[in-house]
Amino acid sequence: MYEPSAIAGLVITAVLTAGLYALMSFGLALVYGVMKIINLAHAGTMMLSAFVVLSLNRALHLDPILGAVISAALFFGLGMLLYRVAVRRVVNAPPIASLLLLFGVWLCAQNAAYLIWGSEDQSIVTVYTYSTIDLGDVKIAVTRLIPFGVSLLALAGLSWFLRATDLGKAIRAVSQNAMAARLVGIRSERVATIAFGLGSALSAFAGGLLTLLFSFNPDFGGTFQLKSFSIIVLGGLESFTGVALGAVVLATAESFSILIPGWRGSLINLLAFSLLVAALVLLPGGIASLLERRGKSE
Amino acid sequence: MVSVNRQVRVLPALLLLLAGCAPAPAQPQAAPAPTELKIGAVLPLTGPFSASGGYFQQAYQLATDEVNGAGGLDVGGKKVQISLKILDDGSDATKSRSLVEQLATQEKVNALLGGYDTVLVQAQQGVPDQYKIPMVEGGGAASAIFTRGNKYLFGTLATIDDLGNITMDFLKYWIDQGKLPKPLRIALAWENTDHGKDYQAAVNKAAKDDPGHFQVVLDQSFDLNGSDFTPLLTQIKAANADAFLSDAHLPDFITMHRQYTQLGLKHKFVTYGARGPDQKGREALSSAADYLVAGLWWTPALTDQGSRKFTETWKTKFNVTPDWFQALAYDTARVLYAGITKAGSTDGDKIRDALAGLQFEGALVPGNKISFDQTGKPKTSYLMTQNLPNNEVAVVWPSSIEGAKPAMVPMPGTT
Repeated sequence: MYEPSAIAGLVITAVLTAGLYALMSFGLALVYGVMKIINLAHAGTMMLSAFVVLSLNRALHLDPILGAVISAALFFGLGMLLYRVAVRRVVNAPPIASLLLLFGVWLCAQNAAYLIWGSEDQSIVTVYTYSTIDLGDVKIAVTRLIPFGVSLLALAGLSWFLRATDLGKAIRAVSQNAMAARLVGIRSERVATIAFGLGSALSAFAGGLLTLLFSFNPDFGGTFQLKSFSIIVLGGLESFTGVALGAVVLATAESFSILIPGWRGSLINLLAFSLLVAALVLLPGGIASLLERRGKSE
Repeated sequence: MVSVNRQVRVLPALLLLLAGCAPAPAQPQAAPAPTELKIGAVLPLTGPFSASGGYFQQAYQLATDEVNGAGGLDVGGKKVQISLKILDDGSDATKSRSLVEQLATQEKVNALLGGYDTVLVQAQQGVPDQYKIPMVEGGGAASAIFTRGNKYLFGTLATIDDLGNITMDFLKYWIDQGKLPKPLRIALAWENTDHGKDYQAAVNKAAKDDPGHFQVVLDQSFDLNGSDFTPLLTQIKAANADAFLSDAHLPDFITMHRQYTQLGLKHKFVTYGARGPDQKGREALSSAADYLVAGLWWTPALTDQGSRKFTETWKTKFNVTPDWFQALAYDTARVLYAGITKAGSTDGDKIRDALAGLQFEGALVPGNKISFDQTGKPKTSYLMTQNLPNNEVAVVWPSSIEGAKPAMVPMPGTT
């Protein structure tokens, strides 16, 4: 039987994990929102960013959080370059073209990482790796609080950026109707380039922060990408609030799964895929559509 | 003019006459001694397993160079140079099998050395029997490898069920010494692979056979390369066990034990199967990895003469301290070469028969001997190590092993 402190621990775990999942998913949602393409290179960006953070840590003893910021800036530029060189050529093609292109980019990133960093598992240890905050019997790892806090900041920052800045408004306009946006004078190509760069930067930032929690190798990121995909479908593909709520649903389901009698931990990924199927069949617009309907009815 | 009918009647008589005059068939002569021995191996030199594949390549080459440097391998009384051909499967199982077939059909190798890890060995294992070319492998440890009826496949890596067995023997000893509670309440977590299932089966069998000593209070699986073990660790905490037994690969070991430490979990005994002393693990976990106990096939902490010599040779040649990967791969190649010498022939069937009855002495593995049962599974065992502070490792079991020290059980800091 689980003591109240264990249940409290599960609640906290669910909340912190949701923050982590949301952070991983924002970049994917932004790119889909503006370009209507699934960025399969998202996992490759997270993995490469983890290695960039590792290299900065080894060479300059840079803290992973600062390393993640630098890596995000680097991948903002690389993302825009990738868009200009390749992605923009397939944006208006059938979806399979962009899927194949970005899948190819992911494979190239993996193989480049094997060549540069090898196949061994890498990890970063900081002075706060084992630091915890004690709330009674419940211990909260600082390395889990950081991605959670950053995720909240990112959600607030993205919401402000999209609502209060001209560029943000332009991104929203392009995501709602690219043709209409062009007709009112928005340079949709420029907006899409920046949005892809921003999406890549968010993925890279998430990848950099994941080094606080996980060991990684060039195969890193695949599982997270599948979870992110489930989350954005569940959340409604284009809504950051929906993505955050989707992350809460998945993280809660995973954390509390252990209370199911006879539960096998090896089935945990099944939860993400079951939620994906359920969302596609029962709630095609995701949680965002529920929120929208509720808003209209009020 | 001779008619055709007459020709037909005379022909058999002529043939009989010729047969009578022909010299008696020569006695079969001994096959000419081979001038070259072709050995093939398919290893993951690129891709996810490339680090381990590289260790295997170096060790196979070292064993081969030593034989060639001494004039060649004794095959039927003649010294024969070994030609070692190694191909890269890119850590891809499908490619791995087809490349082994390529070695068999195009390169016409006389024998094969196996790949790494279990998944790739399982992909390769159909080829030796198909082409009747013996293979010795040291990279697959799941017992399932030896349940498929292979006659031409031999392994040098003790299987994971034996890892579970030796761990339970070790625990039983310390329970009987009064250092651990009786019965010992065990929380068991295993990865959902053939590896993990072997481990789970062994631990559960020991508990079922000896309920006076062991009680499994949690038996839970987890996915390979898991992203978050907090729910599992919450279950483990709630189970209120004395010992935490897990079987995990390196990335999961690092993530799980980090989260274990962050959650403030403590048990009197903690093991992650064969993980613990790995340098990458110790770098990632620092002092959190101290006092973990691991079951291994070999360790450079062994002080017997053969192990010390191998460690020194490896350090001199490659400038790094070898791990079990290199030692087992080196043993694997030496076992195959010993089998060929015993067979006195490069014939696949003869090498297979020789390997089946081989008693290889001077191995690096605990006990220094390698032989096989009728399934090709090795009759070898594990040793157990315990991590000590300052990145040191002690051999702690079996107590009969040279240089073994008493384990620190229960783990310091637990009551």
